[in-house]
Amino acid sequence: MGTIIEAAATATESSLGAVQLAGTAARLCLKRAGRAPHELGLLINAGVYLDNNISEPAIAALIQDDIGANLWRLPAGGPGTFSFDVRNGACGLLTGIYLADGLLASETVNTAMVVAADADPEPGFTEGFGFPAVGGAILLSADDQRTGFTAFRFATFPEFASLSQSDVTWRQGIPDRTGHAGRNVLAVKIAGTYATRAAQCAESTTRELAAASALDLGEVGLLVATASVPGFAGALAERLGIPAGRVASLPDGLAGAHTAAPAVALEPADLAAAGTTVFVSAGAGITVVAALYRA
Amino acid sequence: MENQNQPAGDGVPWMALEGGVGGAPPGGGYVSRFAGIGACIPAARLTTDELMASTKYKTDIELERLTGVRERPVADAGEDSYTLALGAARDALAHAGIGAEDLDMLLVSSISRHVGGMRIQIEPPVSVSLKEALGARRAVSTDISNACAGMLTGVFILNDLVRQGRILRGMVVSGEFISELGRNAAQEVRDVLSDQLPSLTLGDAGAAAILERAPDGAAGIEVAGFTTMALHSRLCVAFPATIGPGTTMHTKAREIHQAATDDAVPLLREVLDQAGLKFGQIDYLLPHQTSVRAIKKAMEQWSQEFGGTPKHVIITVDELGNTSSTTHFVALWKYLNEERLAPGDQVMLLALASGLEVGIVLFKPGELVERYGHDH
Repeated sequence: MGTIIEAAATATESSLGAVQLAGTAARLCLKRAGRAPHELGLLINAGVYLDNNISEPAIAALIQDDIGANLWRLPAGGPGTFSFDVRNGACGLLTGIYLADGLLASETVNTAMVVAADADPEPGFTEGFGFPAVGGAILLSADDQRTGFTAFRFATFPEFASLSQSDVTWRQGIPDRTGHAGRNVLAVKIAGTYATRAAQCAESTTRELAAASALDLGEVGLLVATASVPGFAGALAERLGIPAGRVASLPDGLAGAHTAAPAVALEPADLAAAGTTVFVSAGAGITVVAALYRA
Repeated sequence: MENQNQPAGDGVPWMALEGGVGGAPPGGGYVSRFAGIGACIPAARLTTDELMASTKYKTDIELERLTGVRERPVADAGEDSYTLALGAARDALAHAGIGAEDLDMLLVSSISRHVGGMRIQIEPPVSVSLKEALGARRAVSTDISNACAGMLTGVFILNDLVRQGRILRGMVVSGEFISELGRNAAQEVRDVLSDQLPSLTLGDAGAAAILERAPDGAAGIEVAGFTTMALHSRLCVAFPATIGPGTTMHTKAREIHQAATDDAVPLLREVLDQAGLKFGQIDYLLPHQTSVRAIKKAMEQWSQEFGGTPKHVIITVDELGNTSSTTHFVALWKYLNEERLAPGDQVMLLALASGLEVGIVLFKPGELVERYGHDH
């Protein structure tokens, strides 16, 4: 029995905040899969840059509320929906899939959705925020006839931690809307060398995945690779010797998509035709997650 | 939003359940158990009298009478979410008698993400530097976030993976530097109706729990369950403060307490049924530590509902305050060190957190009790 992808969807309405973007993508994803919200046993949010930099509750609970998935317990029984957040930067969506894969394999839940969205939490006040506003959702379930995800590989490279950082700190002297003489400011700093290092780290982790899975990279039909910077997928494919025609591309304007990027790249893809798909995400840390999917 | 509940599944539990009769994974698998519980509690204390004397506005709030909180630990210079988590993680490893390199997974579940004082770290995930500092080189690492249910969410994830044999050992760790929310609240509360009143009960602490595959026949986690009642998702919300560094939290305390108390009843019943137990057969119930009054009020209602009551209800909020995601394991660590638990005790951890998250873990300490006390 394997964890399979039933559907993927994205949302890009620029007027929406991250929570709404995730909810919009989630609804579309459910519709594409022919499922209703109440069928979700698990909802994981992997978005990082959220409305007002909210830290509590889990954003997944807000999204669950917005899409109307099992909001309260019915006396006669369930199952209900369990929601929580994964915060693993640009690797969050794949990390969420990894955790969902575990809970699906044990039949703790029957259906899972991993959503992610980022939007500038406070336009006009944040520093260095260049990620496009986009939400994504991927619907997963267990299927005893198909293979699905067969392997995951995680790696961290803390020696490159300084290359991509973001934080919220108090800045005295920047008045806020209510007239306070200071404000908390989100600042995102990505070094010029990050993209190259991310590709280097991603290459080594992907080769480890291939070695552990006896995968010949020549048989990869589709590479879904994201690292929040334009051109990453092509650069990684070149390092791995995967032809450019087998690389899932991000559309113009979303090339720098952050946590939702794998869903954006996956949305138009034909996994069945690809046969073997390798997912790779790299992000701050530097953190890399790679996964092998067989349709 | 309309609730699109599914047509009632006859007798199907509402919670996602691991273990027990018919629980996941079907057909059994392995048993997981707590191998070590660690804590890192700041030495400095802030009394409720001191905190209430610092409010910007003159209030007539009798916080200690209302909540039972006398004092709470507060981080000193050089202590923050990261250092508290690191200290707790090392303590848990020492009690478990293993090295960080033995961990297959590392989950960091702090709500507060203060690294370097009041700086709130968004990226990289805190787990990256914690993994490096501990030397957990093999561990799959990530941060997770689920309000005050974060650590129990980590337990739920690790329990699932250990039971399936996907991992042998994993750690979930939180460091909560949240007394700063109380200091911010002290600048804004004016009366007992303030939605920042619960922030005044918060204390700082780190806690860590290591789960491992139990030897055949050994005691461990019997049932774990989780669900989210998202109808109540907006009753407690926290975000960076507008008045100064750090965070503010806004809580509709009465509403969330009542919703949690009411919603917990059928969910407790599901877990008890799964384990084949009655409420009165629980030796130690360890609920989320919000206030003494809230816990006692909930216990009254639950005792009536179930026609019985656990032998002991663990309360630490009076001396430690509400340390958010770490409360269960700080309290457990305290009871283990005080040698108050027996190997065969039936212990129930109950998370009631904003979301509204309801998480329940039922376990027997087994050999864990031998790793604490005077001999260690």
